[in-house]
Amino acid sequence: MSDPHPHHHHHDEPDAPHGAEQSIDAGSQALAETLRSSFVIVKIVTGILVCVFLGSGIFTVGPQERAIILRLGKPVGDGEKALLGPGFHWSMPYPIDEYVKVSISGIQKVTSTVGWYATTPEMELAGTEMGAGPSLSPMVDGYLLTADGNIAHARATLTYHIHDPVRYVFGFLNASNAIQSAVDNSLIWAAARYPVDDIITRDVIGFNEAVRRRATELITQQNLGVTVEQCSVQSIPPRQLKEAFANVLKAEVNRSRVLNESRSYENQVLSKASADSQSRKDTAESDRSRLVNDMAGQAERFRDILPQYQQNPTLFVQQRLSETLGRSLTNVQDKIFLTESSDGRPKELRLLLNREPPKVRSEENK
Amino acid sequence: MKQNPLTLIIGLLLILIFGLLLFVFQVRQTEVVVVTTFGNPTRDIKDPTWYVKWPWPIQKVHRFDQRVQNFEDKFTEGLTRDSFNLLTSVYVGWKITEPKAFFPKFAGTSDPINEAERVLERLLGNAKSAVIGKHPLADFLSTSGENKFVAIEKEILDTIQSQVRENNYGLEVEFLGIKKLGLPESVTQSVFERMTSERQVLISKSQFEGEAEAQKIRSEADRKAAELMANAEGQATQIRGKGEAEAARSLAVFQQNPELANFIFRLTALEGSLKERTILIFDQHTPPFDLFRGVSTSLLNK
Repeated sequence: MSDPHPHHHHHDEPDAPHGAEQSIDAGSQALAETLRSSFVIVKIVTGILVCVFLGSGIFTVGPQERAIILRLGKPVGDGEKALLGPGFHWSMPYPIDEYVKVSISGIQKVTSTVGWYATTPEMELAGTEMGAGPSLSPMVDGYLLTADGNIAHARATLTYHIHDPVRYVFGFLNASNAIQSAVDNSLIWAAARYPVDDIITRDVIGFNEAVRRRATELITQQNLGVTVEQCSVQSIPPRQLKEAFANVLKAEVNRSRVLNESRSYENQVLSKASADSQSRKDTAESDRSRLVNDMAGQAERFRDILPQYQQNPTLFVQQRLSETLGRSLTNVQDKIFLTESSDGRPKELRLLLNREPPKVRSEENK
Repeated sequence: MKQNPLTLIIGLLLILIFGLLLFVFQVRQTEVVVVTTFGNPTRDIKDPTWYVKWPWPIQKVHRFDQRVQNFEDKFTEGLTRDSFNLLTSVYVGWKITEPKAFFPKFAGTSDPINEAERVLERLLGNAKSAVIGKHPLADFLSTSGENKFVAIEKEILDTIQSQVRENNYGLEVEFLGIKKLGLPESVTQSVFERMTSERQVLISKSQFEGEAEAQKIRSEADRKAAELMANAEGQATQIRGKGEAEAARSLAVFQQNPELANFIFRLTALEGSLKERTILIFDQHTPPFDLFRGVSTSLLNK
């Protein structure tokens, strides 16, 4: 019993390890196999992960963008050099590097309506703005106080582009908001220095320029990293006083009309006077030359006839007289010869002078 | 155990990463950081890069945005020195500069920034009413010369800055500007009334001025025209005078026989006066019509 037992045991014993060894071997082999293959997979996966990890640092920058790499939180490079232009770039993976993209897309725009009544672009387009009440509520309506203590409305649109994205992004939580405030302030400031008529009609350009100058100054002072492109300001009188302002304009137009009329009268009168005076002088001039020539001619003639006269004065005089009378009488239209009446006195002649035009001549022969 | 070196490396790497996560932190460009040790602020960091700390719960990192933030206060009413009610609203640009000072004052609340802005609003309110009370309305609104707009902004800013510094809030106000100026609603109505009457004055002014000016231009023109004519008249007289003087020189010739000259002048005058449309009435004594009497010539008697 003991024998076979041990035997059996003995026999069994080496047998069992053998069988187990065999099965363990096979198992461990399978395990090793599995492990090996899974190690391969792990390696591949690790490799892929590493690649993905490194590859995650690749990024593109668009044409209207710039990017800045922060290495351990600090921008790489200074100022302009820190900016990466459009194209592919690589940064080390987070948390070592981090990139920030900044849009510098062309021209940006802010509009200040701090001085404008409550309205929206839609309402403005549709023409459904609320009517103006008798007063302005400080909480609802924006308006500007002018230098002469009056009220006007104005709104400004400022366009700018970013020239220093580092400052724009890292200096300010919300830079466009700061620009907006600067424009608001510029409007208020400029309005406080200009009388209402200058703002609305007389010096619109000056007012506009003042707003632009002040906004540019503030933006430069606060170092917002942007450059002002343009600033346009639109200003109107309070809607409550539209009529009154229009009337002033009308009166001014009227005034210049009156002035123009008087200027044209001036031109007319002066040019007429100068023409008249010239003709006066010309007439005098011609009178003068006529007189002089006339006299000279007569003198000439006198000199000629003097010798003839001296030869026979009586004959000369009579000849002259008769000749002249004869010549004159041929020119005379009507000749009336009065014969002497029997008593030796000339007949009487009565003339009826009519006031009618000369056609009707009345002459009576008695 | 054949993969030992690799496993070891990976293991070490993991430990390193874990350690780094625990012990190292980075500060970005846009941030300031305060490190607390058992809740007490012990260190503040303003420069961006990486730093070492003890792991939680010993040390803890609190981050704040260090960029300039915008804040504007409410539209509030203040009394100017000359007792006008003026509504003002200002905006400020402020930022956290001393996180170590900022942290204990505001970080206890859920929103430290909001809390800081509430403090700013209170300070601004005081500063505004104090500064506005020192100035008459004309300091705000007037043409170039006396306008103290910028000086007023500066005064408010100075007041705020000194108060912020005194209280050691750990923040700084960078700039300040007036964002809105207004009048109480009822006052705007009376401003409108005044403006309307101003318009009326302008209208009548341009009317009267226009007329007066036009009148002036007209009478000036008339005067100039009269002057021109008088001048021309004078010159004409002068010219004629000269002509007469020149003509008179010819008179010397007639001196040789004044009687004949006189006779010729009279003949010329007679001829000239009998040119056209003349009716001549004469009797028989007038030569040469005395011929009609058949007497006068002595030739017949010969």
